[in-house]
Amino acid sequence: MLHLRASSTADTHAVAAAVAAVSRSGDVIVLAGEMGAGKTAFAQGFGAALGIGEPITSPTFTLVHSYDLDGAVRGIRAMHHADLYRLDRTSEVADLALGELAEFGGVVLVEWGDVLEGVFGDHLTIHLDQDPDDDTDELALDRARIIDVAGTGSTWASRWDSLRNRLAEFTC
Amino acid sequence: MGLTLGLLTQPTGGIHVLILGIETATERVSVSIGGHEGVIGLFEVTKGRRHAETLVPAIEFVCTQSGIELDEISVVAVDVGPGLFTGMRVGLASAKAIAQALRIPMIGITSLDLLAFPCRHTDRVIVPVIDARKGEVFYSMYRQVPGGVQQVAEPAVGPIEDLVADLMARSQDVLLVGDGAVRYRNEILEGFHCEIGGDAHPSAAPLVQLAHARALREEWVNPRDIEPVYLRAPDAQINWSTRAART
Repeated sequence: MLHLRASSTADTHAVAAAVAAVSRSGDVIVLAGEMGAGKTAFAQGFGAALGIGEPITSPTFTLVHSYDLDGAVRGIRAMHHADLYRLDRTSEVADLALGELAEFGGVVLVEWGDVLEGVFGDHLTIHLDQDPDDDTDELALDRARIIDVAGTGSTWASRWDSLRNRLAEFTC
Repeated sequence: MGLTLGLLTQPTGGIHVLILGIETATERVSVSIGGHEGVIGLFEVTKGRRHAETLVPAIEFVCTQSGIELDEISVVAVDVGPGLFTGMRVGLASAKAIAQALRIPMIGITSLDLLAFPCRHTDRVIVPVIDARKGEVFYSMYRQVPGGVQQVAEPAVGPIEDLVADLMARSQDVLLVGDGAVRYRNEILEGFHCEIGGDAHPSAAPLVQLAHARALREEWVNPRDIEPVYLRAPDAQINWSTRAART
């Protein structure tokens, strides 16, 4: 597991960009953390790094937002941003067919996906939390975050060194 | 055991039923129109998995090229899975919308039935195998009966190893068909010697043929009663209690 500190939203975007740089078609990335921890900020940084120009907004009420890339990047033709927050049953998650979206030229970011990690197979888990040592105003938007990154499965094990090197400046 | 799928019902003079068949349960998009004279029109494309973009233009194309207006259709037949969630969603929603708009009934047939039926001339056990992703397959077993096939094993979903174990336990002469059999060809053949053949994807042509035979027996349902066959893991409550912050 990588234990990182992002001192600003710009840093969170940079961490997301580093993950995006090693991502490829078929990846599932679980985003965990409480409300306001920076899950959507991570998705925004991730999407921007893939060259998605349109605004990336929280899919809490629409379940899945899909963004087509202008050209394929390492096989990725679309980023799908899902949010399980509103769902109560595993069948509702199955209905989203996130695995199919990933398999077919997609990379899937799943907010609150940590409640059902068993269904995702190989995946990367990004856990975001506000840094308790940050003494700026609690309501400030640009507070520091602690970000833990863990990989599950062989597809991430093979990329781990590359990911660790790219994230070295944020490691704490 | 199992429903027999067949063509033995012959048209009873003067009844002309036109069927629109919609098939999107695998990577293929397939649309067909047919009736008592068999399949009249068929369009299919098996590349790109662009169900939403392809289906409606395909329906328009088949209607135009076969000189049939949509309002001449009397029954909409649809593949109800198991298969790709993303594909079935498009096919079922479109089929139901057309049936409701035209105020006509529907006939749902499973993807496993549609793979098995075209293989009805073999005397081997027919095993349709559909890719269920992540190393799992949907499968079932059928045998030849006069005029069609009969299901002899309930549809199941499981790891490819389960299918191989099932085949070994039965030790029968089998014909495997379907995209799951193609994808896991090596794993299957390492465990059990058999033939893998036939069309890897279900088609709307047998869908229309089978639905026509059923339509003549008025074995149709209201569009609202058509349900997808997912064969997925049992539904369960998500354990949000481990995430107290949500509530």
